[in-house]
Amino acid sequence: MSTKLVPSLCPYCAVGCGMYLVVEKGKAIGVEYMTDHPTCEGALCPKGNSVLEFLNHEDRLKYPMKRVGDEFVRISWDEALDMVAHGLARNIKKNGPQSIGFLASSRCNNEENYLMQKLARFLGSPNVDNCARLCHSPTVMGLGAVLGTGAMTNNLIDLQNSKCIFAIGTNFTEAHPIVSRWAQKARDNGATIIVADPRITSTSWMADLHLRIKPGSDIDLLRGMMKVIIDEGLADKEFIDERTEGYSELDLNLKDFTLEKASELTEVPAAEIARAARIYAKSSSSALLYSMGITQHVCGTDNVKACATLSLLAGQIGRPGAGVWPMRGQNNVQGNCDMGGMAEFYPGYKKASDPKSIEFFKAAWKIDDLPMGPGLTSTEMTDAALEGKITAMYLIGEDPVVCEANINKTKAALDNLDFLIVQEIFMTATAKMADLVLPAAAWAEKDGSYTSMERRVQWIDQAVPPVGEAKEGLWIINEIGKRLGLDLGGTSARDVLMEVNRNVPQYAGMTLERISKVGGLRWPCPDEKHPGTDILHKERFSTPDGRAKMASVLNKPAGERTSEDYPILLSTGRIVVHYNSGSMTQRCASLRERDSELYVEINPADAAPLKISHGDMVKVKTVRGEAEARARISEKVKPGMAFMPFHWQGTNIITSDAVDPVSKIPEYKMAACRIEIIA
Amino acid sequence: MIKVDKSLCLGCMSCSNVCPSQNITRSESSEKRIIHWKRCKEECDLCVEFCPARALTLVPFDENVPEPDVSFDLVACRICGSRYATEPMLRRIEFVLPLNLQKDSTNLEWIRICPNCRRDIEAENVTKQIVMERGKKSR
Amino acid sequence: MPVYIDISRCIGCRSCEVACQRVHGGKGHVNVHYVGDAASVPIFCHHCEEANCTKVCFTAALHKEGERTAYDVKKCTGCGLCRLACPFGVVWTDKIAHKCDLCDGREGGPTCIVTCPANALSTDFDLASKRARSRAARAAAQGGRR
Repeated sequence: MSTKLVPSLCPYCAVGCGMYLVVEKGKAIGVEYMTDHPTCEGALCPKGNSVLEFLNHEDRLKYPMKRVGDEFVRISWDEALDMVAHGLARNIKKNGPQSIGFLASSRCNNEENYLMQKLARFLGSPNVDNCARLCHSPTVMGLGAVLGTGAMTNNLIDLQNSKCIFAIGTNFTEAHPIVSRWAQKARDNGATIIVADPRITSTSWMADLHLRIKPGSDIDLLRGMMKVIIDEGLADKEFIDERTEGYSELDLNLKDFTLEKASELTEVPAAEIARAARIYAKSSSSALLYSMGITQHVCGTDNVKACATLSLLAGQIGRPGAGVWPMRGQNNVQGNCDMGGMAEFYPGYKKASDPKSIEFFKAAWKIDDLPMGPGLTSTEMTDAALEGKITAMYLIGEDPVVCEANINKTKAALDNLDFLIVQEIFMTATAKMADLVLPAAAWAEKDGSYTSMERRVQWIDQAVPPVGEAKEGLWIINEIGKRLGLDLGGTSARDVLMEVNRNVPQYAGMTLERISKVGGLRWPCPDEKHPGTDILHKERFSTPDGRAKMASVLNKPAGERTSEDYPILLSTGRIVVHYNSGSMTQRCASLRERDSELYVEINPADAAPLKISHGDMVKVKTVRGEAEARARISEKVKPGMAFMPFHWQGTNIITSDAVDPVSKIPEYKMAACRIEIIA
Repeated sequence: MIKVDKSLCLGCMSCSNVCPSQNITRSESSEKRIIHWKRCKEECDLCVEFCPARALTLVPFDENVPEPDVSFDLVACRICGSRYATEPMLRRIEFVLPLNLQKDSTNLEWIRICPNCRRDIEAENVTKQIVMERGKKSR
Repeated sequence: MPVYIDISRCIGCRSCEVACQRVHGGKGHVNVHYVGDAASVPIFCHHCEEANCTKVCFTAALHKEGERTAYDVKKCTGCGLCRLACPFGVVWTDKIAHKCDLCDGREGGPTCIVTCPANALSTDFDLASKRARSRAARAAAQGGRR
């Protein structure tokens, strides 16, 4: 029997761990550890260990289906593709190209996303977006504005060089378990670990200093720390003078602010804020890690800007072990944004609102007309669909009726569409609402490159053929293009990569051969001799004038506040054995047996008067709806606060859809709720 | 067929597991374990050989002898109350192990505790120091 | 050589559990236990020098092979005495006994060690204390932070 080991990548989070698939007779039968992979060194989290359970799952979509009444009926690819073409053409004719919304997928590879946004823009629609909107759009906006590049400044391995790790709003031990490997290495090397999180988590376990801040007070904490740094003369004056702008505004912004005020607003003792500030500023190299605890707020972009500004103030950026580490969520969310699958950007972060970008791509793509942006973001598309302005949508590998905030609204929006196409590997809750369901190849069934959160671009070859009649995304998008009279160029991932090399400057030197090697290459990589970039902003920032722009921000009240009727503040987040909407992990028996149902963490002080005991079923209600969950009575959450993982549909029925005005991210972390026992 | 010395039987599952003809059946509720020997005509003595208590003997087939049953009340774990073993099996463990190994450093008679709770206790013991250290750091 | 844990590193992700189960045909030999909200630790076979499980095993299916407490599946009758004799609750019986075999025959050693995201497991008994000493030494050396 011939079995072979095919190099592959974990399809879950954005750490980008390598793994081998054991393939026999065209079927993946095992997983082996890739011990020479630079980031994971062979390690895999529980999700990575169980990837075959969903890849080979009987529920995989195997042929195209169309809706007939409430049922789905199997159809041929020919009929399916004709339906797509007619449906899109009909809506363009009737309502104009602006009426079509496209969601590219941060779960799909760079080549597919590049082609997807090209299809949207060739059709004249600026409305192409992806689920980065829901997790790190504030990073793209906020870090982009302050540092010039909205991505991780260093790499994960480099964390071992940090002498202080300041993690704010990230539970990386659960969301990105491999990161703890490098944080622990730093600890062995003498690093001090500071965690700012309202909850006790396995991340806070490793902290030397755990700041249990009041939810939504991140900016107050960061300003408090900046105030200490300035007042105690710990600011890196030389760095500030040479490489930044905006210090005097910042100084003014903090003039009347006090450590005591910060302590009052954050509910953290002043001495601890001061201690955190001193350790962070004084260490020879400090890393600032953040994730959705920072981004998913109505002030998400400002939160990100405050994080970046703190690093500038202390001169803790642009060196080994010093920088800003946004912890991103999906295996290719970074790449999707790089490829222009975002309403604000054409590929390579060329602003969609800049006529120069349009001219560039008109020439590159040899097309007469391209839409100016920004287009509608995914959250705006939902509103536009409700208003009848978006009438057709094409979604790839996204499950908005589980993942968006206030999903009753999202459901109503999708219901309102004339035509909904969903390209998926499983019959997700969103796919069930579609007019047409297209079965897609999963990660192991296609060629292509993925860009991890550390800007690491890694190519994998197809390991096994697609299941049933499922097709690679590139083939599907190309066939749709053909039927609409468009030549999108290149049906093979190799061809698309070459086009990416030409049109995305960060990827110019990333040839197939170079990124096929274990560990790939890290962008920017401007030419074929360039070794890739480990640390950004070493000499200059990527702003037009090379100087970073310090931001002076003020905290802003949450979109929703607790009241007599809804007295408890509800926050949401990830748990280690599940992933996002759960469409994959909940089909893996070895993960499901470890966490099988939606739960809510409640502090004993809140549970007692409500007569709720550990293990009781409860209803969690907000103004938007209610969700049933199993109560876990725990000191992990502060009194007055509850927490629910978002891997079950119930959670986002009740989350708040108030958005950050800049990035349009919903405020998943702050909803006012009431909890009742189910008799 | 098999004759059972009920005073020796531990209520373990050896005989039932090794029987090639499924002639020894077991039924278990949450509180009781019942082992039942069918009258078998075979000359096989695997179960006899593999009985840890030497409770079984091979005797000539006799259809007038009733099929033997042994019933054991399962013993409850002293911590969680779950039923996890037969009394003779636990006695056997207590008989084989040296006395000084039958209690841990806190004088706990661990044999009378189910394996699940033993793991919990081990987890608590080995994390004691780190839990204390972390308690000092987190308010 | 048994697997040792640096408890300060365990993040409770249960990767070792899932990996162990995966390479042992669905039957895992490690359980991650959570101690309140403050710690987690995988509980697995210590491969005791004087192993109770080998003492009660009347067929010698469980026996010592050097440091390993090894297990010969062909000799096991599934009596379940080993399960009751293990003070740590890390021998299981369903039909036949199963326990940690240190991934016998697997190239690259025990799966749990390789897969652990936090690098908490190793065959080096002293690793945890070496790391703690290194942390203390470096913290002292950094007394004069910039």
